[in-house]
Amino acid sequence: MQMAEKQLVYLYCVTNQEPMLKNAEDLADDFYLVYHRDLYAVVRNVGESEFGQEGLKKNMADLEWVKTNATLHEGIIDQVMKNVCVIPFKFGTLFNTDESLKPMLEEYGDEFKTILSKLENKEEWGVKIYCDTGKLKAGVVNDEPEILEIENQISFSLPGKAFFLEKKKAELLAQSANARVNEYSQESFQLLKELSFEARINKLLPKEVTEREDDMVLNSAFLIGKDEVGDFINMVDTLKMHYENNGFFIDCTGPWPPYNFCGLSNQKEQNA
Amino acid sequence: MHNMVTKSRDVTLLEVLDRVLDKGVIISGDVVISVADVDLIYLGLKVLLSSVETMEQLKGSPFAGPMQEAK
Repeated sequence: MQMAEKQLVYLYCVTNQEPMLKNAEDLADDFYLVYHRDLYAVVRNVGESEFGQEGLKKNMADLEWVKTNATLHEGIIDQVMKNVCVIPFKFGTLFNTDESLKPMLEEYGDEFKTILSKLENKEEWGVKIYCDTGKLKAGVVNDEPEILEIENQISFSLPGKAFFLEKKKAELLAQSANARVNEYSQESFQLLKELSFEARINKLLPKEVTEREDDMVLNSAFLIGKDEVGDFINMVDTLKMHYENNGFFIDCTGPWPPYNFCGLSNQKEQNA
Repeated sequence: MHNMVTKSRDVTLLEVLDRVLDKGVIISGDVVISVADVDLIYLGLKVLLSSVETMEQLKGSPFAGPMQEAK
């Protein structure tokens, strides 16, 4: 917009081989590389009014702006990682100048190199499992003799007693459904974990965010060897076959930049 | 009819936001937003995300409702 405006340096990712930026040129044509200590930082100049402290704070409350820029952030890293291994940075990592970015590469350079060698030939995949509790409960009823027995008693009971039996039934049903959610999601996670180098369980996202009718019951990420991705997908398909009739829905996405597997040692584990 | 389209785009957006805003290497650059701020932003976004549909319907009337309340 304003040509004279102060520019900031937006950092997308760091690599240890020269990335081909041509791939990302469809998204924007003004990326460049900052090279320091055998590392390449993929950056772009952005205006201070938009990305400075004040502007960023304001813009982060604008859904359209966040959509556009988060998608661009992801899109750029996604293109870069087609050719080289990347360390993705969090949205909105900004420096004043190329020169002020270099001390960061200096400080963390060795660690970035260690992380990059760990990530070599691996991909991040995400698995989210959702549960339609109503559907699950409907299935549970027929599996649990104790609940069937209560149902049977209810049909012979007077309203007063039936009321308490209904209450008991609802409790048992909730417990039983809960136990299955835990069992299925744990089992799924374990089976997928066995096929991966590393695995993470992330915060469950509420319905307001997922905009789904069913509840998220597992939000997980896996670091998979490129050669093992086929096995991983097969396992996901097997889990789908087993569980999707019982009210579960398994959503598998990837490959993603390794957002979940590049934590710095001085940072707290990203996931509690 | 645009509902389906919006939906599938939002699910992808969810996946993107779940990573881009929450994960990735965190180092403090020169522009510092405190973690608390980001969390607040993320919370604000959750509310906003849920009102995408409402906003789509409100298109035409310049930003009413959700945006202003978020401040």
